Amino acid sequence: MSLQTPPDSSCLDLWREKNDQLVRQAKVAQDSDLSLRRQQLAQDALEGLRELLHSLQGLPAAVPVLPLELTVTCNFIILKTSVTQGFTEDQALDIQWGLERVLETQEQLGPRLERGLRDLWDSVLYASSLLPELLPALHRLAGLQAALWLSTDHLRDLALLLQTLNGSQSGSSEDLLLHLKTWSPPAEESDAPLTLQDARGLRDVLLTAFTYRQGLQELIIGNLPKALSSLHEAASGLCPRPVLVQVYTALGTCLRKMGNPQRALVYLIEALKGGSTLGPPLLEASRLYQQLGDTAAELESLELLVEALSVTHSSEAPQLLIEVELLLPRPDPASPLHCGTQSQAKHLLASRCLQTGRAEDAAEHYLDLLALLLDGSEPRFSPPHSLPGPCMPEVFLEAAAALIQAGRAQDALTVCEELLSRASSLLPKMSQLWKDDRKGTKDLPHCPLWVSATHLLQGQAWVQLGAQKEAVSEFSWCLELLFRATPEDKEQGAASNCEQGCKSDVALQQLRAAALISRGLEWVARGQDTKALQDFLLSVQMCPGNQDASIHLLQTLRRLDRRDEATALWWRLEAQTKLPQKDTTWSLPLYLETCLSWIRPSDHETLLEEFRISVLEPRDL
Amino acid sequence: MAGAAPRVQYLAGLCCPLGGLASGKPRVLCHEAEAFLSTGSELVYVYDLEGGLLTAAYRFPGQVWYLELLAPRRALYVLCARKGIYCLSLDHLSRRSTSQDDGDSEDGELPSSVIPVGPDACVLPDASLCAFTVLDGTLVTLVQGPTQWKMQLFECPCPGGDPQPGGQIGEVELSTYTPPAGVPGKPADPRFLPVLCCMSPPASRAPHRHLWGSGSFTLKEALFGLLFGVDATLLESPVILCGLPDGQLCSVVLKALVTSRSAPGDPKALIKILHHLEEPVIFMGALKTEPKAEEAAEETLPGEDVHFDCLVALGHYGRMLAIKASWDKAGNLVPELREYCLPGPVLCAACGGGGRVYHSTPSDLCMVDLARGSAPLDPTQPEEGPGGLPPLLCPASLSACSVVTLSVSSRAPEGGTELLALSAKGRLMTCSLDLNSEAPGLSVVSRANTGQKIKELLSGIGTVSERVSFLKKAVDQRNKALTSLNEAMNVSCALLSSREGPKPISCTTTTAWSRLQMQDMLTATCLLENRSAFRLGQGWTLCVQVLTSSSALDLDSAGSATTYTIPVDQLSPGSQREVTLPLGPGENGTFDLPVTVSCTLFYSLREVVGRALAPSDSFEDPFLDEDPPNVLPEQEGICLPLSRHTVDLLQSLRFPSLAPPCTQAPPLRSPADPVDTFLEACWEPGREPGSQPVGPASLRAAYLPPSVACIKVSAELLRAALEDSCSGVPLCCATLQWLLAENAAVDVVRARALSSIQGVAPDGADIHLIVREVAVTDLCPAGPIQVVEIQVESSSLADVCRAHHAVIGRMQTMVTQQAAQGSSPPDLRVQYLRQIHANHETLLREVQALRDRLCMEDEASSCTTAQRLLQVYKQLRNPSLVLL
Repeated sequence: MSLQTPPDSSCLDLWREKNDQLVRQAKVAQDSDLSLRRQQLAQDALEGLRELLHSLQGLPAAVPVLPLELTVTCNFIILKTSVTQGFTEDQALDIQWGLERVLETQEQLGPRLERGLRDLWDSVLYASSLLPELLPALHRLAGLQAALWLSTDHLRDLALLLQTLNGSQSGSSEDLLLHLKTWSPPAEESDAPLTLQDARGLRDVLLTAFTYRQGLQELIIGNLPKALSSLHEAASGLCPRPVLVQVYTALGTCLRKMGNPQRALVYLIEALKGGSTLGPPLLEASRLYQQLGDTAAELESLELLVEALSVTHSSEAPQLLIEVELLLPRPDPASPLHCGTQSQAKHLLASRCLQTGRAEDAAEHYLDLLALLLDGSEPRFSPPHSLPGPCMPEVFLEAAAALIQAGRAQDALTVCEELLSRASSLLPKMSQLWKDDRKGTKDLPHCPLWVSATHLLQGQAWVQLGAQKEAVSEFSWCLELLFRATPEDKEQGAASNCEQGCKSDVALQQLRAAALISRGLEWVARGQDTKALQDFLLSVQMCPGNQDASIHLLQTLRRLDRRDEATALWWRLEAQTKLPQKDTTWSLPLYLETCLSWIRPSDHETLLEEFRISVLEPRDL
Repeated sequence: MAGAAPRVQYLAGLCCPLGGLASGKPRVLCHEAEAFLSTGSELVYVYDLEGGLLTAAYRFPGQVWYLELLAPRRALYVLCARKGIYCLSLDHLSRRSTSQDDGDSEDGELPSSVIPVGPDACVLPDASLCAFTVLDGTLVTLVQGPTQWKMQLFECPCPGGDPQPGGQIGEVELSTYTPPAGVPGKPADPRFLPVLCCMSPPASRAPHRHLWGSGSFTLKEALFGLLFGVDATLLESPVILCGLPDGQLCSVVLKALVTSRSAPGDPKALIKILHHLEEPVIFMGALKTEPKAEEAAEETLPGEDVHFDCLVALGHYGRMLAIKASWDKAGNLVPELREYCLPGPVLCAACGGGGRVYHSTPSDLCMVDLARGSAPLDPTQPEEGPGGLPPLLCPASLSACSVVTLSVSSRAPEGGTELLALSAKGRLMTCSLDLNSEAPGLSVVSRANTGQKIKELLSGIGTVSERVSFLKKAVDQRNKALTSLNEAMNVSCALLSSREGPKPISCTTTTAWSRLQMQDMLTATCLLENRSAFRLGQGWTLCVQVLTSSSALDLDSAGSATTYTIPVDQLSPGSQREVTLPLGPGENGTFDLPVTVSCTLFYSLREVVGRALAPSDSFEDPFLDEDPPNVLPEQEGICLPLSRHTVDLLQSLRFPSLAPPCTQAPPLRSPADPVDTFLEACWEPGREPGSQPVGPASLRAAYLPPSVACIKVSAELLRAALEDSCSGVPLCCATLQWLLAENAAVDVVRARALSSIQGVAPDGADIHLIVREVAVTDLCPAGPIQVVEIQVESSSLADVCRAHHAVIGRMQTMVTQQAAQGSSPPDLRVQYLRQIHANHETLLREVQALRDRLCMEDEASSCTTAQRLLQVYKQLRNPSLVLL
């Protein structure tokens, strides 16, 4: 039951003046440099709009007041969304309330049943054909509804709404892009109450946000040509700088995956020219160079990335409008555009250096990284925590491996000791361990794999320093711990949640093999071939697929002149090499890979060749 | 230790709202010789402990929810509800402090100057902030998002410095939660706020004093590593512990929380859920329970690097969790976790020296001791490795009730502890505990000490009197509840035992028409009469349920029920109460007759007993609105049905023709009868010259003959039934009087001896009731039998149906009564009855067929079908059958 008598027109003017003043205040807040002042002004304007809306909605809905009321509703929603940086359920309710007010004037509300927003929009747009003066405000509200639905992925509802708005009966409702493009909101009248953002502005924002979302989605699911066209569309639209950088980076990723590295490079350079967020394009560039095999350029981009991330750029204050950024999906660590934190980038750089054989650089970078993580008294840097990634002990171990590789064994020992001392409280009590050993109890303490690995690396460092005795004792200690650990051990509380990475069966086997071979090699160096033979034999049993173990065994057997066994082993090796190589892409931890590379027999091709001759010749005779 | 004699001393009285302070939001902090207090209002007070007076009061723009002090920067951080975090410099405070008259006065006077805090002191405006904690360089906040808790990390803004808020350096979303129901846009105040607490590893190279604050603890390595994992240990990173109102306890490694602004952290990698208390977490802290180390700790100054070895968390209903690290037989580090039940509801708590936890309930302030020495030692326990937690805790009372916030003072006297507490009445007090109670010297009281002693005794009396007044009130309430329960029992027994005869408490329902708000309303009046010897007191409610039948025209719609509850309040024996309720027309102007009105008496146990039994209830009552746990039986009350009354068409008929002309109501026919409008439109005088003018009435008669239904009843049967009322009156008139017995018009009908009457149905249609005697010949072999025929005639088919239904209903009741008295029907001609029965069967079958056809046919042919259906119905309503 609506009263069609408009409230006193002077009252209407008063409200309108209030609205205009609040909008101007919000715009002043927008331009204010001081972010605190800005936030307070915006909060005050928001509160003012809320009050104004309450007083407007306290009266029965009337057609002459409705355009103003809807404008205030829109301003309120826009300001609230931009202050809280996101849409919530409240905004949906605000929109719904606005629509119900329109229907109230038409007496079409009927019994207040639970009606979906879609149905409400249908009835309102139908009713609005009778009330042309409401159209501009309704289009603006529809723009906000579209933004809400876009940000919550209700694309079907969005398409249907736009279809109704455009008045097009035919055409598939699926082609959202087309609907967005054809939507032309009526021009605002010059004497209308002030608005924060008009419907055309909203349309442009929606267009860019939609195409970029679409492109990113297609890129993630691997539908590259579609992604490319959507991203192109996004780049050609009205696009604020930071978003443009993202779009160009996504284009770079897309083109790299499509095998167009040169074109990808062009976009990445554009992106780098674009703005202050340099992280994602730099990371993408490093991936691109890695694909091209240009290691120097790859490492250079990574170095730049570390530098770029060290600057905590004070993010520009967001506009008090509905912006493209608000409508983009939440940043996700799995997204191709995620570049992580500085320490994560530093870790990537260090490990790439180690992998590409630049041990000195790697060692330096690892030391920098550890300093960054451990010495900062203030928590400014996060550990390379991205999943799946190494946990802190592994970072220590990689650093030690890099130092040994770079010939800095003493430093490596220091790093290992630091690791053990820091974690000492978590390690099982060793005295207890020996006591129980004597008692022969079966309860053995569980020791995380990384502790054994630390002893392995310590042994390797001693090897490099020429201290055989220490080396052998470290290797033995490592083996002692390793044979207690079984891979299916449920790790106790002391384990970190990313231990899974180094807990796999394969890693345990390879670690055992590496420790046995390392100790064997030390025995060989001390001339104790029988002891060496024992270790090599065990390592072959432990890890039959490990060729290195077999070759060391072969060499020792030959040295001991145990020809028959050597021949048998050689035949087995031959048969193994002839077999189709099994897929051996288990991803071992980087420190283990590095360690395994040290104990690889250097001349194993020539050795096998020699053996072939020595084995085959007597047979030919 | 239970023998420790607590000494309570009142320091000051603060303004407190009516009903006392609620728990959860008031805070007391003490630093050196100053204490900072907030009562949950907009004010923060500064109290000088040495001078014994309030030195300043600050007025913030909103309610103060939390305080924290960052000592090295000499800054006080204050969380204002729905405003944000404000920061005050302490140097600034001391400059402003003004001298003040006697602070011991308990009149709640403010210091002469209340200093307003302006928006320029705001360092982090955010309306949805619920908790925070400060570390030296960073500010950790908890924000209530629309669906989730969000933890955010900021560079610490300093007071009076750069007004720019420190940049956000990290963010992660915690668990889901259900937002409290409130008006959209105006969220309700949360009843429980989340609790934040910072735990750091001992080896941390950062200076420790920066972690000063009520929410920071340094844990022993083993416990720290066990709880928070190897990464946190290696990084030596502080960990933020978070206790949520839903009972979750989770931890976030602070160094790992640093993320870029563009990407919030991955909750799976960052958040570790430690435990679920299943009740709102109100306190978290750490204790030192190792006895050997305890001595060492007491030697060091409090606040110095004490490494705690036990983590405790306390829930609102008294569930306490304690976690320690220990080694199993094999030498593995394993957590030892124990849950205790303390008396609840807990208002606040604090951790003291040693293994002591102080916690306050509305009725007492208690202390429990988790230290190893407090429980009998197990001699078989291996000497290395931390000792176990005690299996049971015995709370020791400290004799102070309703303390809403508590803090362990840093100025502890030797060998004792001093607690600074704020009671629900706004009194600030210190509670000194001499823990070495066996210390001699009590007997030797010097003269100089006597004055002090007397003062102490007096303030002890003050505490006791506060406690007594509270307990007395609780007892009174219980007595009242018991009296009320006893009365309720008597009433229930009286009502339930009187199966025959009039009930001692009755409710009669009558209907009448009245004119309300320009509209005629049918109202029902329920008269509750108490003829019993007992009083209906507080807790009783009269529930009247009005149940409408489903509309006859719409088979699918179910009837609607409206329940009115009217508190009886006080109804003494012999008195009565009248309640009038509208029955119709409903919002759409229709009547859905018949309507059933049932009256029930309800006694609410929750209202009467719940309040008295809930242990939490007290004058400071922050808990009135909550369910007392487990003290109430399953059902919420007692329900006693009183009466049930059906209002049908015959009761709601009106007879304008009978009314005296002067008081005759305006024509009741609803103005917009569509049929009439149509007929009127059809009838245009002069359109057909020559033909006599035809009114709508005659048109209606011609085209829409009134629907008719009739019921025949054997006169003998009726006469027997109406024996007492029909003496001297013709049977027809008696029958009509009987039918309209519950109508207001019955007197007129009786006075004029009418046998037919023209009335108006509630929806405005005319209804004609005609009663006449006829003879039926071919039914009985013994000759014709006298029969009363009741004919219902109306232009509205629906009303005919309703009236027919009402008449049949009365007949049914009458026949059942007569059958009980054993009257025998006369001989009948069975053949004839069979014939009638067969006829009806065919008619019913035809109805079924027609209805089926109606569903399938198109419009044109369905019209004829519908007409045929109407005819058949008419035949059915006019049976040749007689009720005998």
